[in-house]
Parts: sequence; C-alpha cells; structure tokens
Amino acid sequence: MFPGRQQVIGNVNSFNALTNYNNVVNIDAEPDTGRHRILQWLSPLEPQQRHEDVQTDRLDSVGNWVLETHEFRKWCDAEDGCVEPVLFCYGNPGVGKTYLR
Amino acid sequence: MTDSLCDQAAGKGITVVGLYCDFLAQQEQSTTNMLGAILKQLAGRGRILEHIREAFQKNEKGFSGRRLRLPNLVEILKKTIMSLQRIFVCIDALDELAPKHRRELLGSLQEVVRVSPNMRILLTGRPHIDDEIVECFSKAVKIPISPTQDDIRSYLEMRLKHDTTPKAMDGKLLVDIMRVVPEKISEM
Repeated sequence: MFPGRQQVIGNVNSFNALTNYNNVVNIDAEPDTGRHRILQWLSPLEPQQRHEDVQTDRLDSVGNWVLETHEFRKWCDAEDGCVEPVLFCYGNPGVGKTYLR
Repeated sequence: MTDSLCDQAAGKGITVVGLYCDFLAQQEQSTTNMLGAILKQLAGRGRILEHIREAFQKNEKGFSGRRLRLPNLVEILKKTIMSLQRIFVCIDALDELAPKHRRELLGSLQEVVRVSPNMRILLTGRPHIDDEIVECFSKAVKIPISPTQDDIRSYLEMRLKHDTTPKAMDGKLLVDIMRVVPEKISEM
C-alpha cells in the first residue's frame, strides 16, 4: 500500500532518499498519506521560495517607518471587527513596496 | 512586511501567509492557484485538515476533473480560516496579476472576509489598482509608500559598499552622491 516505505527505512541516513520520498516520510504524522499530493492539488505555486529571495536581497532598516504609522498599527493591533480588514500600501514601481520588512 | 507581521504574530495565535504576484507568471497565477496557495501554506505547516482531505478524495473519485474549482475553493478557504484564531494574508504587487484574475481574486477574498472577522488582508501594488480594490473593499485603509531620505541613504551606502569600481570614488564624490541623490529622488 505504501510503495517506497521500505526504501525510506533502508536509507534513513540519506538526505536525498528522504527528499525523494517526502510524501512517504510523512506517513507517521499523516496516517492516510498523500500529503504532498494534496498540497500540489491545492496549488502548484510556491510563494515561500519567492519570499526567501526577497529576504536575501532586503536591506532591513529601510521602510520601517511604515510599520510605525497609525494606519498600520491600527490595522495590525485592533480587535477583530473593530477595524477595516483591508490595508493597501501603494506606490510607483521601484519605491520598495516588496522590500518592506 | 510578511516578516514584520510574523514577528508580531509570534506567540499570539496569529497565522501569516504571503503571496507574490509577477507579470512573468501571469498564466500560472490564476485565481484558483493563488487562493489555493493560501491553503497550501496553511496546510503545509501542520496536519492537513479533515475537510481539505475529504475534498481532495471526493475530487479524485468524481468526474469533475482534477483541478479545484473556484466556488469549492472559496468554501474550503472559509472553513479553514474559521478554524484559526486570526490570519493575516499579504499579497504583494497585486497590479502584476492579470486583470481578470485580479478582479476575481478580490471578489473571492471579499466573499471570504465577509464571513471571517478574524481575517486581515495586506495588499501592495501600484496606485492605479485602487479603484478595483475600493470596488470590493470600499473602506480599505491606504498608506502611500515612498522612500524617506534616510531609506535612500541606507540604500546608497549599501550599494557603494559593493561598488565594482571603488577606485573611481573619492571623498568629495561620496559627499555629493549622498547629498544629491536623496534630494533629487524626494523631488520626484
């Protein structure tokens, strides 16, 4: 029922083998398997990868003033239902919207 | 911004997810793939919730094709968000999404937010998409982003540190660059 399980057990010290059989390795946490397939079915996109690129290129001190604005603080800290849920930070290309920490 | 929110969310039961839009990826960044990516980040962190697993299994058995359809996705998203304490969804460069997908995505988010008081959405993008946002979220809060002179100076210092022709630099040129560039940019 779980093809590949044997290989994983046999190669438990090999990182490559663990990566290749990622969906099988998770059997213990997810008894009825298919975790990887479900995640792919939800979306083929990998936003986490792009996020890591931005983290690498970012200059941390830049743009921190945005986080101190009244608008941002209220949006972030208010109780549910006491604040408009959508915050739009807008600017022309290249002003650094993506690279706000 | 996602990282700042993550820092602030730590230990408070707040979940933060982020999506990036890109002109070059317009085709694959469809509404369903984008909304699905929210669920994917949520599901990827912990145990896959039972209703997501059920939807997957039902879909595999059915005749409706393998992809998740938008109305189903919106329902799954509502149900998933209901199980969270609070969630921040950050969507970067919304203007880079194809216009059709952008409207659809905003409309879907509107539908989810309506029944999810524990959800906040942070959007970034160029000013021209404001109308579309207001159409779905008439009271959206807005912050104009432009670099401060300090921001520009920090950035210049970083770039000059990695200058590929450092011999061309002298004290006077450095002073001029640090004074003139921030001034000119602020005037733009």
